[in-house]
Amino acid sequence: MKTSLKKIYTWINSRVELDDLVQFMGKKYVPINRHSVWYYFGGVSLFLFIIQVVTGILLLMYYKGSDSLAFESIQFIMSKVQFGWLIRSIHSWAANLFILAIFVHMFSVFFTKAYRAPREMTWLTGMVMLLLAFGFGFSGYLLPWNELAFFATRVGTDIAGILPVIGKPMLTFLRAGEDVTGATLSRFFGIHVAILPGIFIVFLSIHLLLVQRQGMSEPLDGHHDTERKVMPFFPNFLLRDLLLWLIVLNVLAILAVFFPWELGKKADAFASAPAGIKPEWYFLFMYQTLKYLPAHILSMDGEVLGVLLFGAAGALWTLVPFWDKKSSRGERNRFINYLGLFVVLFIIVLTIIGWLA
Amino acid sequence: MIASPEDTPKAPEPEKRDFLKLILGGGIIAWLASVLYPILSYLKPPVQSEVEVQSVKAGKISAFEKDSGTIVRFGNKPVILIRTANGNFRAFSAVCTHLACTVQYRKDMGVIWCACHNGKYDLNGRNISGPPPRPLDEYRVIVQGEEVVISKKS
Amino acid sequence: MKHFAYILSLVIISSGLVFSQAQTRVDQCVSCHNDLETPEAKLFQHDIHRMKGLSCADCHGGNRYAEDMDQAMDKKAGYIGVPKGDQISSMCAKCHGDAEKMKQYHSSLPTNQFENLKESVHGRLDLTGNARIAQCSTCHNAHGIVSVKNPASPVYPLNIPATCAKCHANPTYMRTYDPSLPVDQLEKYRTSIHGIRNKKGDPKPAECASCHGSHDIKSVHDAKSSVYPLNIPATCAHCHSDAAYMKQYGIPTDQFEKYSLSVHGVALLKKHDISAPACNSCHGNHGAVPPGVESISKVCGTCHALNADLFSSSPHKKAFDERKLPECETCHSNHEILTPTEKMLGTTADAVCSRCHTEKENPKGFIAAQQMRTLMDSLIHEEAKAKMLVNEAEQRGMEVSDAEYKLRDAHQALLQSRTAVHAFNEEKFAETVKPGLATAALVEGEAKGAVEEYYFRRMGLGVATLIITILAVSLFLYIRRLEKNGKHKV
Repeated sequence: MKTSLKKIYTWINSRVELDDLVQFMGKKYVPINRHSVWYYFGGVSLFLFIIQVVTGILLLMYYKGSDSLAFESIQFIMSKVQFGWLIRSIHSWAANLFILAIFVHMFSVFFTKAYRAPREMTWLTGMVMLLLAFGFGFSGYLLPWNELAFFATRVGTDIAGILPVIGKPMLTFLRAGEDVTGATLSRFFGIHVAILPGIFIVFLSIHLLLVQRQGMSEPLDGHHDTERKVMPFFPNFLLRDLLLWLIVLNVLAILAVFFPWELGKKADAFASAPAGIKPEWYFLFMYQTLKYLPAHILSMDGEVLGVLLFGAAGALWTLVPFWDKKSSRGERNRFINYLGLFVVLFIIVLTIIGWLA
Repeated sequence: MIASPEDTPKAPEPEKRDFLKLILGGGIIAWLASVLYPILSYLKPPVQSEVEVQSVKAGKISAFEKDSGTIVRFGNKPVILIRTANGNFRAFSAVCTHLACTVQYRKDMGVIWCACHNGKYDLNGRNISGPPPRPLDEYRVIVQGEEVVISKKS
Repeated sequence: MKHFAYILSLVIISSGLVFSQAQTRVDQCVSCHNDLETPEAKLFQHDIHRMKGLSCADCHGGNRYAEDMDQAMDKKAGYIGVPKGDQISSMCAKCHGDAEKMKQYHSSLPTNQFENLKESVHGRLDLTGNARIAQCSTCHNAHGIVSVKNPASPVYPLNIPATCAKCHANPTYMRTYDPSLPVDQLEKYRTSIHGIRNKKGDPKPAECASCHGSHDIKSVHDAKSSVYPLNIPATCAHCHSDAAYMKQYGIPTDQFEKYSLSVHGVALLKKHDISAPACNSCHGNHGAVPPGVESISKVCGTCHALNADLFSSSPHKKAFDERKLPECETCHSNHEILTPTEKMLGTTADAVCSRCHTEKENPKGFIAAQQMRTLMDSLIHEEAKAKMLVNEAEQRGMEVSDAEYKLRDAHQALLQSRTAVHAFNEEKFAETVKPGLATAALVEGEAKGAVEEYYFRRMGLGVATLIITILAVSLFLYIRRLEKNGKHKV
């Protein structure tokens, strides 16, 4: 057994020089410090993404992306296909946990200033993936073609449509027409299962390559004089990662069995919108903020201004490695901490308000 | 899993090590089984091979005699597919509008008939006699080549 | 000012003199036409309008005091000759539609007759398209009009049937308006209790106008018509629930009350299901009589066909006829027919079977009734149980549409068994019930399977959790051991 494995290894090695890679991996260390726990969230996000890919592919076997069959096909998956209920519930739950995990991952990187030089590119690709994850969530939400999704998509695309200049064309592009119809569903389906995964994989590869190449960032307040504690990436850190993944998988299974994702009522374009239409929780803080804005601010439409402000804030946030020169120089930058704290509180408070409203 | 070339741990007590590795290996195999079993079952085609609620394939034209009626399951409800004496197809909800019994075609009377209370509908689904208060809902019948397909009328 | 008042009073007095002078002048129309002895003039002598002081010129116009015929019947003097078409009714309505004028003649008659006529089915345009189908004179005559209370009036209750029949019994005439409308109403009416008494000279029983109205007659398809299916019970009850009015006939007056409580009354009056029977559905309308004892099952059978057929071929048919028991009514009553339940079947206190089939006198029927009830009870029980299990499975989020689909069959068997009772044959009854019991058992099995599947999922999760926990713990131990052997420092 062992010898045959070795034979295969040498066969491949003689062709692609695996030894180099193995040596590189073997020399990889993960620093141990009081912020080490945050390192795991990247891995958890990756694991949840893998789950999404696997369950997503499985769902594709039975799902039908048309307005007449989408709802029924999911009903079919949930009832007629063995373990279909499990696969679909896991896909829905993992989607939410995925967003949660990358949020935590992103903020931990932000607070530890791990985005600073030389890891600007890792941060940027990460932010792009966060945006893509929102796209995944938004497009995937419509696919069951149920009432809530239908109206949430209407509201969501409406918000995109109010933007000046690009709003209208964007709305038509997203909806594949004037209104949310079967054509929108086909479009969202294509975006969800082909376009977004394709782009995501590219950024994920770059992100992971950079992490492997540059190693883990260490917090600024590390005492460089005392000796650094480290742990080999292989196998110690990887095994810990796997341990956490196992637990996450079990949590997912428990959620799927005890809180199966509901399907609701089939969407009906002519029905009146049900009360309490809300976007998914990760859009809630933006949605709630837009609600609080007055109708007109300085002769501008309040909502338009809100959307533009969110865009500007997002851009500034994304570009933090380039304007936070202090951290890159290795100096402390308290402003970043206060800013981050404000943003976290803002998101949490408005999400809770939006949830309760 | 490729063992790290640098840290081969020294075996402390062979017995304990074997036991732990045994559990670990067994655990991995059991875990794989518990993940693969649902996935493989999921991939096994279900009895009803596809979703068919908006329309349902009733069968081949030749399977329906002229001047006869057949009950076809449509989603959760029965539909009566009637082939008239001159060979035309018509389909109606087979749920009697009186007390929801399943109706049938009566060749001798040439009507759709409900056995529960002698309700009668003509071949346009209109209630013509007995207690039914409303006509039967009509379904659309499409003949695609040899295949007779029933679909909801929108 | 004083002068003005003086002049005004003079004018009033003098004009009054002129008026009283005119009254005393001779009405030339009347005197001349009386001399001519025309039928109109003869009839007019008894006309109520003449009694009230009206004369020819009030309707025909012209100058009544002119002795010269040309002058009297001069168009310039407003002479119109014989009023034609709608002119007739408009002429009548000039006074009869004006409450003030009618008060002058001390009349308490309503003043909306013409308005009602316009809205009525007779107010539509006739064949010529120039006038309404019926004018006032069509029913009231023209020159010999007398009070409706006068037995000589064509609209006196005893005369109404003939008056209406002038047109309505004439097939050639009626065909021109509504070819499918029957013309045998009078004929049927004369066979009804109402018609027979009417003929005998009793003005109280219903005639045409009692149910259809008079000036405001509407088509039976008009929801406002007093004979529209929804309104029939109230129309009949107008007399039949009036104890004082009905007293001399010695029949009950609680039919409407009872009917309103019945399954038919609720369907018609509460649910507005116009296919539900009203009074006329069983009693007939124009030929209204209570159905005879032996024909009840035929009458009920017009709707409840299967039950009637089964009953007619059952052993009960002969037994009931011999004992002069009214067929359906014996068990279901007549006006107050309630929704039958399984409680009617069997030998318990509520059951109707044991009224005749007592344990001692008629043990065969007694046992059969008991066994049929047992069968029905078990089907009801099994169906309810299957339904409950299906619901339970559904509430647990399991897909049971298949079982639900089959459950329909069990329910159908139950409904059919309720009909099958009327064959009063235990074997036939069992034939209907047994397939229902089988289906219910099948559905129960499927639903139980679904509930089991629900627990299987939880167990599966438990097993998977156990596996993952063991794996996680051993992995944790492995990592710890791995790290004991070498803390890495750089």
